[in-house]
Amino acid sequence: MEVTLWGTRGSLATPGPETARYGGNTSCVGVRGRAGTVLVLDAGTGIRRFAKTIPASVLRVDILLTHLHMDHILGLGFFGPLYRPDAEVHIWGPASSTQGLQARLKRYLSPPLFPVRLNELPCKLHFHEVPRGDVDIGEFRVCSALVCHPGPTVGYRITSPTGQVLTYMPDHEPALGALRFPALPREWTSGATLAANADLLIHDSQYSVAEYGCKCGWGHSSLNQTLDFGTLAGVKRLVPFHHDPDHTDADLDRLMLDAIDETKPRYQVSPGMEGSVFEL
Amino acid sequence: MCANALNGQLPAGIMSGRRDDAGAGIFSTRQRVAAPKPIQIILARQLASSLDMPILLVDTAGTLIYYNEPAELILGQHFDETGEMPAGEWGKLFAVEDDMRNPIPQENRPMTIALTERRPISRAVWMRCGDREWRYLNITVYPLIGEGGQFLGAQMIFWEI
Repeated sequence: MEVTLWGTRGSLATPGPETARYGGNTSCVGVRGRAGTVLVLDAGTGIRRFAKTIPASVLRVDILLTHLHMDHILGLGFFGPLYRPDAEVHIWGPASSTQGLQARLKRYLSPPLFPVRLNELPCKLHFHEVPRGDVDIGEFRVCSALVCHPGPTVGYRITSPTGQVLTYMPDHEPALGALRFPALPREWTSGATLAANADLLIHDSQYSVAEYGCKCGWGHSSLNQTLDFGTLAGVKRLVPFHHDPDHTDADLDRLMLDAIDETKPRYQVSPGMEGSVFEL
Repeated sequence: MCANALNGQLPAGIMSGRRDDAGAGIFSTRQRVAAPKPIQIILARQLASSLDMPILLVDTAGTLIYYNEPAELILGQHFDETGEMPAGEWGKLFAVEDDMRNPIPQENRPMTIALTERRPISRAVWMRCGDREWRYLNITVYPLIGEGGQFLGAQMIFWEI
């Protein structure tokens, strides 16, 4: 599979010269399978550019939403295939205790927040609620599970036909409430089974260690926690992702080097930069 | 096989994050295989581990999957030593009697009721672990129900009266 980072920023789109290298668009990752399956992981502002690379010959696209915070759905209304009558768009995402996925999305995709209503979109639209067990989407097997983040939030584990695994958890605070982290085995750590032995883990790394101390419970991880989480999960490669809007390129360079030096991961770390492409 | 399609060079040292001289890290090579716990159960354990009141956490089968340090004092066991205990095992750790000092059979104990009827229950009992002294406690148990009505287990709290 080919994995492309189209938006790596957390919380708020942050364009500008000081974020040009890591990128200012919010969460969106494109996944293309060798047999032509197209998955979109989250619909942040990065989705608009991704949509432009999807040829008209692709008739089905699956959008996998981890949760419905604004930075993960803001780009949805600008996803080109939604406006193609011949396109079949499947949206996967979590319901809440009181509302289904479609009703929750309608709150954004309707006036006054957005001029076009969901039911006015010309594509063939399908909704699927997660988490659920293993599901086959095109050539991929996709597993979803709830992870620690405010509100219903899932992570995804995507397995290719040849066994390569991508795990995507852009908003995740596995250290919440832990006296030490990581101190518990995988089965007792949020998301760790989902990420176990993944070839590529794309994971929340919003804060520095000092910042996490002030923002514990906000649903995100420090970069050091993320690297330790990768060790616990036994991943082969990790992409720190969902960068804080206040972190400039220079800040992120420094934070990455410091965290790698302090945690000493034995796997490869590739900082999440918009435009990066990974072949699994 | 990573290429940065837009931005070219990465700062030296970052891309080659592999550190073969580093330690293996916790659990990375000796990971035992076990079923993952639902996130609600993980959070319940984390909350219990930070509270100074005795709490037991059981799964849907009644297996005692976690008890915190204050509960260790009541059970006379350490979780780090016992690990998880099946229902038939941990239920025998203590005797339970009602106000009239009649033994409460297993099927009428609060935890059994919470698990089988999936409802909260609270009652005062006399309880004794092993050969320790009898204690008069209030036991409160409530089922843990996740989104979509998924039954996840139950949590028990001891409260000294």
